[in-house]
Amino acid sequence: MALPPQLPPADDLYLTAHDTIRGKSLLSPATLGLGLGAALLGELMLWRRVDLVETELIVIDERPTGDAATTALLEQIRREAGQHGVRNWISYLSTGIATDLVERRLSRGGLIKRVEKRGILGTKVSFVPADSMTAGWPATRIRTKVSRDEQLDVADLLLAGLILATGLDQHVLATLNARDRATLFDQFRRLFPAMLQQLVAHAEAAVGDAVLARRA
Amino acid sequence: MSSTATQPAESQLSNALARDRLGVAAVVFFVMSAAAPLTVVAGVVPTGLAVTGLTGISIAFVAVALVLAIFSVGYVAMARHISNAGAFYAYVSQGLGRPVGVGASWVALVAYNMFQVASYGGFGAIGQPLFQDWFGVDIPWYVLGLAAWALVAVLGVRDVAVNGKVLATLLVAEIALTVVFSVAELLSDGFHASAAPVDVSSLTGAGAGALLVMAITGFVGFEQSVVFSEESRDPRRTVGRATYIAIALIAVLYAFASWAMISAAGSDKVVGRAVEEGPELFFNLAAGPLGTIATDLGHILFLTSLIAAMISFHNIISRYMFSLGREGVLPRMFGRTVPGTGAPKNGSLAQSVVGLIVIVAYAVAGWDPLVQLFFWGGTGGGLGVLLLITLTSFAVIGYFARHRTDEDVLHRVVAPVISAVLLVVVSYLALDNIATLLGVEPGSTPAIVVPTSFGVILVLGVLWGLYLRGARPQVYNGIGLGANSSTTGGGGGFAAALAEPTDPADGGARR
Repeated sequence: MALPPQLPPADDLYLTAHDTIRGKSLLSPATLGLGLGAALLGELMLWRRVDLVETELIVIDERPTGDAATTALLEQIRREAGQHGVRNWISYLSTGIATDLVERRLSRGGLIKRVEKRGILGTKVSFVPADSMTAGWPATRIRTKVSRDEQLDVADLLLAGLILATGLDQHVLATLNARDRATLFDQFRRLFPAMLQQLVAHAEAAVGDAVLARRA
Repeated sequence: MSSTATQPAESQLSNALARDRLGVAAVVFFVMSAAAPLTVVAGVVPTGLAVTGLTGISIAFVAVALVLAIFSVGYVAMARHISNAGAFYAYVSQGLGRPVGVGASWVALVAYNMFQVASYGGFGAIGQPLFQDWFGVDIPWYVLGLAAWALVAVLGVRDVAVNGKVLATLLVAEIALTVVFSVAELLSDGFHASAAPVDVSSLTGAGAGALLVMAITGFVGFEQSVVFSEESRDPRRTVGRATYIAIALIAVLYAFASWAMISAAGSDKVVGRAVEEGPELFFNLAAGPLGTIATDLGHILFLTSLIAAMISFHNIISRYMFSLGREGVLPRMFGRTVPGTGAPKNGSLAQSVVGLIVIVAYAVAGWDPLVQLFFWGGTGGGLGVLLLITLTSFAVIGYFARHRTDEDVLHRVVAPVISAVLLVVVSYLALDNIATLLGVEPGSTPAIVVPTSFGVILVLGVLWGLYLRGARPQVYNGIGLGANSSTTGGGGGFAAALAEPTDPADGGARR
């Protein structure tokens, strides 16, 4: 049987952060937003559109990415160039914007389905994974590769880093033993570009700050 | 969503972030819910009258408010320049050095835990006669204390946002009730406007230190306003305004309510009545004009006020442990949260263990829950916070002396120096009067143990900080940075992953 495809890191993170069957989020909305915001910025770095220099996002290539979500974000970063640090960008995206962009992208691809539930207090819209096997695949892929001592590619290292930064590892990487963890950590240090290391570290600090400021 | 709307010269990002940020009112609410007005007015003040026999409490509230307002000028200014602004030890780390900062963090944990366990004792002791009265059942105080403890323990690891709304509603009800009851006391038969509560000479006489610590106990929580330094709508104004408004509101409310209470009982008789009636005094005095339904309502809110205080302090403590865990000053497991709610679960669980041990110890030993747990714990914690504020006022001076900022001389030098001098005087008086405060003989065990323990904990914390400097320089460099220490290689799961083997080399490499 063919394995499901590898999606952009933000999509993979979204699927990992939700119950594979009912689509319930495993993270608080604020933490999910911070993770997805960093993931979208990470995609722009992976595709060589944006660099993170110190704490600034620098556009190095203005060409559209071929994807609506990141193209819109790239355009906005270009328009507001030099005005905000990366932490502000992550906070901004976490206000629901990143979650919205990723939900649209996933539902366009048919990977999640919009479900309306009518209740006493009006209609509640939620998203449910179209296929629970596909939805569980990103986390499974990371666990399998790590325990087989295989190298993760940079996109998966970004996903794994954000899983740790958002605390999702307590759900999806809990089965890794000490040796597997050491292997993964070693890959972060050897194979994960410094710029993306910093992005994930910023995301992690933002998640922590949200806890301290009682927003998480 | 934002792909086509072009708004030249307008920053979508700034607008969106501004919309999400807190205004003055939200910050004031948050601060005052930790201050728990009814707990102070009906609980701390009458118990304090009974234990110390001192009546100059209204003027002490006003004096403390002035000192804290002056302190806040520099405190709020420094909050704009540092991360992890919600924690005293962050200021101390950056103003007086990291080892002293670690010492301060331990003192803070002990002081806040004293408040926390005090509220369990208060809930049990105050609830016991009420449950007797309402339901005719005599429940031991520690059973009630444990019930409250269980509630807080469960809420501590659950959603925090829901708690916020409940706390805000209770707070409004509490303040309204305090005002109504105080006005009723003005209208009661025995009322005779008394000068004793506002007698300025009580601030220089014997027992002044005890009065001042009692007053500070009522304000604890005000320091939490700076948690929102980076979240507020206008970082230069919002938090400062909210802090001053909260201090002023607390001062006016407490000073008025205690004046009304002492005047209604008669300043010569109030101490005797406080000994007799304890926390009932505030309600009994208002019962004449108001009737029993109002007092029942008052009693219910009194209990919920104690619960609100418990929840606030529990959240403060678990977040303190969270930021220390992220930094690696405490074991890293304390830097963990529940992913679905963001609640710092291990810090919360640790606090619950402390609470359980203290309640059980008091129950087994048969110690008095009202005086020896509620009042000693509350005022002991107040003393600890006073010492922390004093240390922080020097940290503010130290920080601005070493860092070039755009703050003016009032914020950088004048206010911090004045507040440091005043706070040293208050701290000296407090330590000098500790026996009066606790209602024990000078030189007896509690009068020595309480202040000494803060000193010992501070020194142990400093030693731990010095150990970290030598043994784990990377952890040492992150002290005081809270969640942001992850950008220097401490922090949560990912940063710990990066940091692991190349421990000393990595710290300065990034950033």
